[in-house]
Amino acid sequence: MSVTYHEVEAFIRDELASLTGEVSVSADTVLIGQNRVLDSADLVVLLLAVEEFAKEKMGVDWDWTSDSAMSEARSVLRNVGALAHHLADLQAA
Amino acid sequence: MSPGAVDTIVVTGASRGLGAHCALRLHETGYRVVGLGRKPAKSSPFEMRVADVADAASVSAALGDLKRDKSVYGLINAAGIASMNLVITTPPETVRRIIETNLIGTIFCCQAVAPAMVKRGGGRIINFSTLGVPLAIKGEAVYIASKAGVEGFSRAFAREMAPHGVTVNTIAPGPIDTALIEKVPRQKIDEVVGRQLIPRQGEPEDVWNIVSLLLSAESSMITGQTIHVGGA
Repeated sequence: MSVTYHEVEAFIRDELASLTGEVSVSADTVLIGQNRVLDSADLVVLLLAVEEFAKEKMGVDWDWTSDSAMSEARSVLRNVGALAHHLADLQAA
Repeated sequence: MSPGAVDTIVVTGASRGLGAHCALRLHETGYRVVGLGRKPAKSSPFEMRVADVADAASVSAALGDLKRDKSVYGLINAAGIASMNLVITTPPETVRRIIETNLIGTIFCCQAVAPAMVKRGGGRIINFSTLGVPLAIKGEAVYIASKAGVEGFSRAFAREMAPHGVTVNTIAPGPIDTALIEKVPRQKIDEVVGRQLIPRQGEPEDVWNIVSLLLSAESSMITGQTIHVGGA
């Protein structure tokens, strides 16, 4: 069970595009804070989808709780790429 | 209230008191009940699991299988402890235990169960406070602090959950004849009951009636509210 960074990023981009209707989702697309592309309700839905992906496709139990979850500077949720890197790192660990 | 064929309701504090009463009534109504208690149940007509709600890992272990279970429709956070004491004579460890069980336990259980309701696209969360919050009863300050926290948490959490069709409400009973108040002097109970708008001591069934209302499909527009049993 091994998923590449690019596959994780693609999954998140697809989910995000589906949730928001955004067509230009990239690794830099912001998930939290001032320039976020989705509201908190959609963020919850995204987290659930990503958690399920991590569990089923990557074999990773992802705990999204974090004191820095809403930090635009430090959060793994700060953008699509950061989240994808975080999950890929968890898989590699 | 008419449950779907496999609708599941999680009830904390289901081994005694209001939690046990509500869990039993839910079971009789036809729901699948998953009860949580601190100790193994000797016998129960519904499923009981052991968990300390104040311990996130314990809650997660007990309810982990329900996190993605779309049959989960409701969570009733009835686990609670109280200690009649003046603030200055309450041991620090007791203060911590009351806050951790009543407030933090409620939050942990919401964290464990709400994702399933979001996935389902709807649900009902019912938390418990006390009439002591508006009445500011002497000798219950720590207990009241924990429950005031539950009310504030519930209002804010209701806003987070509203887009997902999940309602979050709080029931605040006066003194109900359960184990929670078995050591409270009769005079004290009568004094509190006398301050209610309806000066009659409530029964567990009075609380169940509100639980039943809040679980019903017809209550889908009721959220972020605290319902005072007996009135304050």
